[in-house]
Parts: sequence; structure tokens; C-alpha cells
Amino acid sequence: MARVLIVGYGNPLRGDDALGWHAAQQLSENIRRQDVEILTCHQLTPELAERLSRSERVIFIDAACVGVPGEVSQQRVSPAVSAAVDFTHHFDVPALLACTQILYGVCPQAVLCSVAAESFELTESLSPAVEAAVPELLERVYRLLE
Amino acid sequence: MAQQITINPVTRAEGHGKITIFLDDDGYVRDAQFHVTQIRGFEKFCEGRPFYEMPSLMARICGICPVSHLITSAKACDELMAVEIPETAQYLRRIMNLAQLVQSHALSFFHLASPDFLLGLDSDPVQRNIFGVMQSHPQIARDGIMLRKFGQQIIELLGGKRIHPGWIVPGGVSEPLTVEKRDQILATIPEALATIQRTLDWFKRTFDNYPEEIRTFANFPSLFMGMVNDEGELVHYEGHLRFVDATGKVVADGIRAEDYQDYIGEAVEPWSYLKFPYYKPAGYPDGIYRVGPLARLNIINFCGTPLADAEWAEFRELGRGAVLSSFHYHYARLIEILNGIERIEHILNKPDILSKNVRAYAEPNRLEGVGIAEAPRGTLLHHYRINEDGIITYANLIIATGHNNLAMNRGVLQVAKHFVSGMKMQEGMLNRVEAVIRAYDPCLSCSTHAVGQMPLQIQLLSPDGTILDELRR
Repeated sequence: MARVLIVGYGNPLRGDDALGWHAAQQLSENIRRQDVEILTCHQLTPELAERLSRSERVIFIDAACVGVPGEVSQQRVSPAVSAAVDFTHHFDVPALLACTQILYGVCPQAVLCSVAAESFELTESLSPAVEAAVPELLERVYRLLE
Repeated sequence: MAQQITINPVTRAEGHGKITIFLDDDGYVRDAQFHVTQIRGFEKFCEGRPFYEMPSLMARICGICPVSHLITSAKACDELMAVEIPETAQYLRRIMNLAQLVQSHALSFFHLASPDFLLGLDSDPVQRNIFGVMQSHPQIARDGIMLRKFGQQIIELLGGKRIHPGWIVPGGVSEPLTVEKRDQILATIPEALATIQRTLDWFKRTFDNYPEEIRTFANFPSLFMGMVNDEGELVHYEGHLRFVDATGKVVADGIRAEDYQDYIGEAVEPWSYLKFPYYKPAGYPDGIYRVGPLARLNIINFCGTPLADAEWAEFRELGRGAVLSSFHYHYARLIEILNGIERIEHILNKPDILSKNVRAYAEPNRLEGVGIAEAPRGTLLHHYRINEDGIITYANLIIATGHNNLAMNRGVLQVAKHFVSGMKMQEGMLNRVEAVIRAYDPCLSCSTHAVGQMPLQIQLLSPDGTILDELRR
């Protein structure tokens, strides 16, 4: 069982929304620990709850649509059910954690690491501001793994 | 004074739609229209692309059922190349198609439809969603997650990723199956079978709770269409088209993919971007037919796997000829999940499933090709023409939701007639109109263009177009 799960998510074809994929790729190349599992996905879905339930900690990596482009942030996230949740496209991290808690009776500690995006236009490249922020983002993830 | 009702948006479906209900001068429902208000244009923008790009391009139509488009497109490309793909490649494509069917049906049943059954059609919409189900029936929610994971894991193992896998290519598949992957999939079969059987047992017990819905949910005579093989068996990958009527009588059979235009016409209406396919011999709009799980179980002679055949025998008892109530799409969906799991196990145990011969190579040898396959929501058809250089010059796609378009409109009309009186919409109408549409599990993302939930708006209009009442969600 992976002690730590890292989830990089977003749309890899929509500019800075691919941040989670880029970060996960670099983390996969650099982390050799058996107790760390890294996965990527387009969006959060209820199915991830089962995987979360088998982890002690989870680190989500996503682009933020607010803030100064390139600004790195991290925050603890707690389970919360959104009244607006009506379909899986709208699943967010608190909702996924709530889902895990309700269905499996456990909930990992969760941290969301993000970089404020500059552009979500159709491209597979990150914007210069977000690209430049990736090293700092990775550094934060490494510290969380210590 | 006649009136009109509009429902906009419709929730818990794939895409965005709007419904208008027209009343006559006496306040009775005259007509109903299910509008699809956005367009994607895949048929046009793929013109000019090399034919071998089509599977990857077409898979982008949908994030829920990319495998269906991948497979159907690849089959159309096989036709352009005029190749017979290796038998093992056919087996592997079938496994992925069935895995997709299982995960998509599980999404439809557990995530989208089950809140209606478990929490009640008239319960608070704020609670009537997957979270409400998790809190009130956690085991059922876990079962849904399990079956989704079962299908997605197979797609990921075979295709390298869960969404938009590129493993299915013109001529076959790009990589053979390994022993490890086969055994990994086989190990998950027992739990998946137990889960779907548990779900079927529970769901069948709920039928008594919904006699009115079963009676009024798009319950009308129509034709049904789908694929069968030469023995009339339930198939999702290889076969020919068959139409049966409401009595269960076969009215057309043995229709090859390339002959589809002899039987299926496509009408357009100015109020929707979704085309209106119809059965040509009956004309438009009388040639109404339904596709998808309900249709498939209505057209076949047998399912071909023991547990599903036992369930199918019970299903057939629901109607004297074909089963007509669209409420039973849900039941049919569960039986198809059962069949899919059984069949995946059967195919994986074939002796040559690990063969390395999984791809045929060829240049284009024909200028026209048609591929058909059964997607979760119904028959999917891709028709391409190319020039001498293999460049696409024409593409026509008929998507399951399109096939069902006339039937969905008829279903909404039926509910409206039941729930609209005295120029007012009765309590519960919005919920039931949504539920009728949801029974078809429409994918408006596939058929046109949309992302996410399908909002619902109902407008009640007078004959002169005045909005007299309006509901929104």
C-alpha cells in the first residue's frame, strides 16, 4: 500500500491546466520510493475515493484559476460536500475527501499544491510564468514527502 | 390560449439540452421538443486529415465512451484498408469495448440514475445526487465505484490510460496482451460478478415502487435497432443490423454496415443541432426507433452467456412482445454489465488470446468505408470517404443519442401529457421529464458539443409564443 499518493490532474491539452501532468512526470523521474504512488488524471472522480482510502497522505497538484500567474501555494484540505455537486465533472478535492470518508470510513491527510495559471488556451505547453514556477512547486512536494 | 413549456437545463446527463412543451388552445399538450443547442462539427473539421488519424481524432468526441468511437472509427479504417484484422486483435478490441460498456453503464446507473430510485423522484434535488446515495446507501455507492473501476482498469491495462487510449489502430491493436495483464484482469472477475448480481437482485425488487413511472416513462410502440450475429446473439463488436417492431417481430435483418443508408435516413429540424435518424421504409417521422441496452435486449435471440441469459429470460417477461417502457433501459443496462463481465472472462480464457499477431498493415485500398459497433448507449456508425491519397473527403457519424432522438422527444411528450393540465405544470413534472431523458442516458457531448452536466429549462408557451411559465434547474 502506498503511504503517500500524489495526484496530478487537469487537461493536458489546455495550457496551464496541464500543470499536474508536467509535475507528476518530473516527480516520477525523481522519486524512487516504494511508498509513494503517482498518478495523473483529467479530473477527479468518485472512483479515486477507493484509492485514497488506501493512502495515509495525498498530495494533489492542480493549476489555480485565481492569483498572480506563477504564484505557488499549498493548503491543507478537509472533506466537505458541496451542494452544487451534481455530476462527476464538478468533483473537487473536498468532495472527493468527503466521498472517501463516507464510503470507506477513513480519510487521508490532504494537501493541495497549486500554481496560479496564466492561460488555459489550447496548447500542450505551460505558460512561461507557470513553467518558471514548477521547480518551486516540486520543491514543496519534496518537503512534504520528508 | 395555447401555451409552451421549456425545460432548461436537464440535469445528470452528458451535455446541455432544453425542452419546450407546446399547449393547444384548450391547455392540452400538443407537442414537445427536446432541443440540443450546441454543435461540435467533428464531421466537417476532420475533412482534409489522413484517414489513419481518424480513430484518435474521433475518440476525442467523448470522455465517457472514447473507446466506442475509437473502435468504430478503426473498423471504418479497416474497411478503407480492405484488411481482415487478426482474430486475436478482434478479441482484444472486444474486451476493451465490453470494459467500456461496463464502466459507462455503471456511471449511468449508479452515478446518474440511482439517486432517483434510492432517494425518490420527488426528493429534494439538492440531496438527490451521488452524494445523497453515498450517505443513505454506501454499499450501493461502493458497488458503483467497484464496477466503474473494473472497466476503467481493463481499459487502462490494455490501452495505457483510462481516457482516450490510443491502443486500437486501423488494422488491429498496437500491442499484444501479456500474461500478467490477462491474469490481473481475470483476478477481478469474481468480485465484479458478485457486485452486479447483488445490484440486479436489489434493483428488481424496486420495480413495485414505480408502477406509474414504468407505465408512463416513454412507454410506447416503436421499432428497435441493434447489432446481432448470424445466430441472433447479443454482440457489441461484430455483426449486422437488425430491426424489430413493438411486437418483437423482425422487420429487417442482416443489414450490412455499408448498406445502412438503405434503411436509415437522417432528417434535420430547425430547432435542434441533433439529427433525427429514422427507419427509411416507414418514412419520417413515423420511422421512430430506439437503440441501446433496451433495444439490444429486444432484438436478440439470446445473450450468449449463462447468467445474462437467465436474467434475459426474466426481462422478456416484462412485455408481450418487445419491452416498451424506457424505464427498463436501466434493467437492460444491468443485464448487459453482467453479460459483459462474463464475456470478458470467456474471451480472456481463449488459447490464442496472448498471440503476438495483432495487427494487419496496408495502404488504403478502398475509397469508402463504414464501421459499426455497439456503444454503451446504442449503435454507433462511422462512414468515411477518402481520396486517392488517403485524405478524408467526407465523414458521417450517427451516434446512439441521435438514433434515440425521435424516441426521446416522444417520451418527453408522453410525460408532459401526463403531468400538464389546466395550463399548469404539476408538481413532479420537472423531475420526471429529467428522469425520462436520463433513462436513455443521452450523450449530447457525443452527438453535438457539450461538457459536464446537462442543465434543464422548461418553458410554457402560448400559441403566439408568449412565455406563460418557466422552470429552471
